[in-house]
Amino acid sequence: MIPKLTAIVTGASEGLGKSFAVELARRDIDLVLIALPGSSLEALATYIRKNFDVKVSSLEKDLTYSETYTDIFTFLKKQHITAHILINNAGLGNWSWFEDKSVSFYKKQIELNVITPVLLTRLFLDQANPAITSYLLNVGSLGGLFVVPKKQVYGATKSFIRYFTQCLQLELSDSNIKISLLSPGGINTKPELLVLNNRLRGISKATIFEAEDVAKIAIDGMLKGKKEIIPGVINRLMVVLNSILPGFVKNLIIKNRLKEILKSNDKIIDSVPAY
Amino acid sequence: MTKILVTGSTGFIGRQLTLSLANMGYDVKALCRNTAHPYLIKHKNIEPVKGDILDIKSIRNALQGCSQVYHTAAMAKMWCRNPDDFLQTNVTGTRNVLEAAGLAGINKTVYTSTCGVWGPSTKHPVSEDEPRIVGFPIAYERTKHLAELQVQQYVNQGMNVVIVNPSRVFGEGPVTDSNTVGKMVYGYLKGKWRVIPGTGVQVANYAYLHDVVNGHIAAMDKGIPGNRYILGGEDISFNEFFSTLYVTSGTQHRMIRIPQKLIKFYSQLERVKTKITGLPPFFLPEFADRLKFDQRYSSQKAIKQLGYQITPFTEGMKRTVNYLKAIA
Repeated sequence: MIPKLTAIVTGASEGLGKSFAVELARRDIDLVLIALPGSSLEALATYIRKNFDVKVSSLEKDLTYSETYTDIFTFLKKQHITAHILINNAGLGNWSWFEDKSVSFYKKQIELNVITPVLLTRLFLDQANPAITSYLLNVGSLGGLFVVPKKQVYGATKSFIRYFTQCLQLELSDSNIKISLLSPGGINTKPELLVLNNRLRGISKATIFEAEDVAKIAIDGMLKGKKEIIPGVINRLMVVLNSILPGFVKNLIIKNRLKEILKSNDKIIDSVPAY
Repeated sequence: MTKILVTGSTGFIGRQLTLSLANMGYDVKALCRNTAHPYLIKHKNIEPVKGDILDIKSIRNALQGCSQVYHTAAMAKMWCRNPDDFLQTNVTGTRNVLEAAGLAGINKTVYTSTCGVWGPSTKHPVSEDEPRIVGFPIAYERTKHLAELQVQQYVNQGMNVVIVNPSRVFGEGPVTDSNTVGKMVYGYLKGKWRVIPGTGVQVANYAYLHDVVNGHIAAMDKGIPGNRYILGGEDISFNEFFSTLYVTSGTQHRMIRIPQKLIKFYSQLERVKTKITGLPPFFLPEFADRLKFDQRYSSQKAIKQLGYQITPFTEGMKRTVNYLKAIA
């Protein structure tokens, strides 16, 4: 008999996190959902309880507060819940020149994208039951592999996650825990992305996915113990190209892309409503 | 007497709404791009005003003397040759209408959205405060969602706007691209529609046009600013839909059930065809994907707060069939 599993999902109220929650519920996995206070987390938790046969705990917590990490696991202990799956999904993106964001923004971004997943992983492993296979899924980004302008800090945090995840895979290769890195391309989540991504054509469009599709591919890969999950043929092809192309060619491509971005930016921004 | 502006007054909902308001004795201004449009109803209380929701000056002109607005105009199709038309009409157009309404000091606006902003349901019917659990691959749903966010911004600034969300609307009205149920019923009556998608068990919610129109008027009367109200009907499977259609029309056809996967494959060919030739597609993959889900919606909130009433599906279908038989 397969034991009933419990999964922790961070950043669960919107976007990819919400899709993870629904996808796990669909697979009969109990949930511990975490999102910021004032997000629509409780509405999602209620919806899942009503429509699926799983237990859902929802914790509205700011993951940049240091007490939050232990709070989550103290809560689980009190409830006699052992988590078998941790999905480090919460993150803060940006698409801006380095000088355009504030010091406090970058501090928050690094805390949420780097410190939070590391510390949650540490505490998650402490409570994992060695008799049952546990799963860790870290949400990286293709941006952790390519140097992309206007993604300087975000890309760097995702590079960190790549190194961290791959190193843990080595260290814990003999233990009963499967560790996966999810490296998605673009995902249609926020309103402004809904507008921008839908203007893309051709190959660029083929790198963009709906959150529910990414979640499904990711959970499939995680349960199979895949080391790296890259949704989409074009995205996988880009990774292969990246590993065989010489550095100067890649630089040329990126510089060209940058020119395109600069050219089209003014045009696009003009027609996107502000949200 | 209260003067009311209706945008989209040649559309499936707006047309009937314009007529109902006129019959109630209101002075109705009907904003039209073409004041000679064949679907525009001639009535002593209806004053056609030439204008376009993409031209804010024309909206401001039309709003003179009005105190209420029903914004029903939208791009409610499966496909447009220029995909930006969805964003333009549904989002920019809505912003223009609300901006103009704000400047004109309009008392209250009812915005016609759609249950498509929630999309598929899981086990139980969706209600207003529940989340959407899939993305927005369908352009109509995506842009109506973005438009609702625009409405919410104006509400936050203090404007009195109520959102109504009709489900799949059917009833007596012109058979057009946005009247998808009418197209299906009309095709069935003429013996041209013989398909039941999938196994026919997929459920959708069907709202009778007159109920939806009354729901709009009740929302203007009693709707709470910034609130959304689902204006739906009964949850009906494709199998029930076509058996009701058979019973109410007396016309029986042998129906063919086509598996969802085959429809999806066909829709992908259609997309390629459209990309190469620019001809309108008959069906698109994002719609084929939807055939895997139910779309059940609950109108309980509107029933409680607005006194919304639902005409039984069989009754609504009987009247729709009679209407379409007469024009066939």
